[in-house]
Amino acid sequence: MLNRNAEALFWIGRYIERAENHARLIDVHYHIQQEEDFQAEGHKWSRLIDALGVRNEYLQQFEGFCEQDVLSFITLDLGNSNSLFSCVHQARNNLRTLRQHLPSELWDIINSFNLWLGEQSVADILSGPHQFYQQVKERAAMFLGAEQSVMLRGNEWRFIESGRFLERAENTTRILQAVTVSCKSKDINAIYTQLQAVLKSVSGYQAFRRYYADAMSPESILEFLIVNAYFPRSIRFSFHKLEEHLAKLQLDSSEKGSGHERVIRQAGKIKAELDYMEKEEMSGDLVEDVLQSLMGSCQKLGRTMEGAFFRREGVSA
Amino acid sequence: MSKLDPLPGLSPYPLQHFYDEMYADERSIRPHYKHVNRMFSGMSPEELQLKQKTMQRRMMEEGITFTLYNPAQDHPMERTIPFDMIPRIIPKGEWERLEAGIVQRITALNLFIHDIYHEQYIVKDGVVPRRMIISNCYFRPEMSGLRVPGGAYVTTSGIDLIRHHDGEYYVLEDNLRTPSGFSYLFKGRSLMNQLFPELSLASSIRDVDHSLNRFLSVLRSLSPSRTKDPVIALLTPGEYNSAYYEHAFLAQQMGIHLVEGRDLVARDHKVYLKEMNGMRRVDVLYRRLDDDFIDPLAFQPNSLLGVAGLMNAYRAGNIAIANAPGTGVADDKAMYVYVPDMIRYYLNEEPILGNVPTYLLSRTQERQYVLDNLNEMVVKETSLSGGYGMLIGSEASKEELADFRLKILADPVRYIAQPIMSLSRAPVLSGGRMAPRHIDLRAFVLMGADRKPHVIPGGLTRVAMKEGSLVVNSSQGGGVKDTWVMA
Repeated sequence: MLNRNAEALFWIGRYIERAENHARLIDVHYHIQQEEDFQAEGHKWSRLIDALGVRNEYLQQFEGFCEQDVLSFITLDLGNSNSLFSCVHQARNNLRTLRQHLPSELWDIINSFNLWLGEQSVADILSGPHQFYQQVKERAAMFLGAEQSVMLRGNEWRFIESGRFLERAENTTRILQAVTVSCKSKDINAIYTQLQAVLKSVSGYQAFRRYYADAMSPESILEFLIVNAYFPRSIRFSFHKLEEHLAKLQLDSSEKGSGHERVIRQAGKIKAELDYMEKEEMSGDLVEDVLQSLMGSCQKLGRTMEGAFFRREGVSA
Repeated sequence: MSKLDPLPGLSPYPLQHFYDEMYADERSIRPHYKHVNRMFSGMSPEELQLKQKTMQRRMMEEGITFTLYNPAQDHPMERTIPFDMIPRIIPKGEWERLEAGIVQRITALNLFIHDIYHEQYIVKDGVVPRRMIISNCYFRPEMSGLRVPGGAYVTTSGIDLIRHHDGEYYVLEDNLRTPSGFSYLFKGRSLMNQLFPELSLASSIRDVDHSLNRFLSVLRSLSPSRTKDPVIALLTPGEYNSAYYEHAFLAQQMGIHLVEGRDLVARDHKVYLKEMNGMRRVDVLYRRLDDDFIDPLAFQPNSLLGVAGLMNAYRAGNIAIANAPGTGVADDKAMYVYVPDMIRYYLNEEPILGNVPTYLLSRTQERQYVLDNLNEMVVKETSLSGGYGMLIGSEASKEELADFRLKILADPVRYIAQPIMSLSRAPVLSGGRMAPRHIDLRAFVLMGADRKPHVIPGGLTRVAMKEGSLVVNSSQGGGVKDTWVMA
């Protein structure tokens, strides 16, 4: 496999995961609105922009925050490289460069996804936001399903999956960071409401209740989302999967000892930290540091992978 | 009366004075079109429109698209090429003559290119003027004296032909660099088979699938190494190239690598693929990049698309490049004038296919004649393709004519002119009815190390989708048709 193809696969995994996460986050934002009081209409929408970390980009185009502009910018705007449509579009363009290596079902799904998004307008979203984002989630799930059921378990698949789980770990971390920072000065109830929304945004509400039905505290929610070993969107779960996929990449033995092993070692280290994390670290002020360090680790791992797999120039011939 | 027949008293399918591929006259269908005509006549306009829609939608979903650039847009638009469902049909005898003419032409052109980069006998014998070579922007001095694998320079070529109102075919252009359109030919046929299985089953059409295998064996035959399984790669400028779909399609169908310049590296006069598991040596490179961009060390230094050192590896005989660099010297629009003479010179045969009469504007008399009759001429810039830099006298406004006149006078060597040919027409489906549109034919030729040209049966019929228009290029909104050669 060409280095460039490996990189494209990794980013297909990331982009599809990111699109799905965006859809979940935007969708659940409607729940928060109903449960919490907001002082101003604009504030509701600016928070969504902050959760996706695109305030500066948004303000270059718009002056105020309103539902229509915000939804259009984070969902359909191809000029915003982080919009949901941009993610799908990028994934589709990446897949287009390696169609010949992948099952054609994957192309059909992602190309239709891209075409469908291209036909949507902000009016379509506003006429039924929940239904709209539900459809996005379903199409992302369709891609995941096809990929799981038909792809050979070779390097191609491992790269997509590595991208997916690195993106997922980073994403869950980012959402939790946004909540802990913005709720710092508020009372316990406000934090609780927001964490509950986060739980819903990762479809973890029902799963969470099976573990902590009698103690719905902010600490327990944080613990669940960071270190639960069985919930597929927790940070720890994501790192377990990520390390597994990275370790199972079939690379020429002569190349070992170099970048590949470093990548595995780094992922393993983060995984171990999560495995042995203490309850106290996930409450109070400490959690901010934990999340900060996790975010740093995710980004560092991404860079190491880049150096190890995608940008090699050396010639061994 | 069937739904597509002309109405009595009113002719919805006017032949005017053009040659029509389907209709011999307004009341009679040519025999080889009878079956197809009957089938399309049996369908209601709604049914036909639905099929046409399905076809276009399918192409969109499969990503059978080309990319159009518009500086006003942030993101390039991907478009499907308009695909008309009524096939163009060429009877057996007619095709055999075409095929013989094309083989003859490509054989002579290939000999010409070889000659130009070696002894240049044709110049010494005064058949082609020397200045035509040295002033030619496609001439590559780097190729002089170089032995190319099998002596095959034009591995792939596309000969554009038109049929005039006299019913004769004329060669309009030889595309010898890296012509596009193969994917529309192959994909068009398979979409037709899916959409109209009954149509193709009932007619005996020559198959095109084996030409794809031929394509691969032609590329393999060029391999300079003796390995049984040579590594072949298609070099694309990347996903934003307008023909990217074609590159991906061909790589997929032939099972060869699809690479960009950054996936390759040249070391010790060899070219390697940068793979996850190390480096793999490339034997044959089918490049879909222009000469200028393939090697920044040899040609344009600022090109990011090619491979630095490729030409050194090529000169060392460690890699084959298809098509060979420098083939453009023979497909310059001014050089075209000399092709019949090349056939006589190298093969000692009379050309089977004629050229369209062409005026070289560098010649005083011819220039004067053209300027006096500009509104009846097509003027083309010798080095441009894709319908760019072109004037169609009859369609141009007074200002455009005046503008072009100035351009010609300023630099006459850059232009050629041809009388406006009345391209033949074939029916297309328009709003559920048949309507005549002008067409041409791009015939594709493959040539490997045995130097025996293989003409893909049929080729690609290009259609000017706009009523009355003569412009068939896809970059200018033209469409295509499946093209059948009867067995």
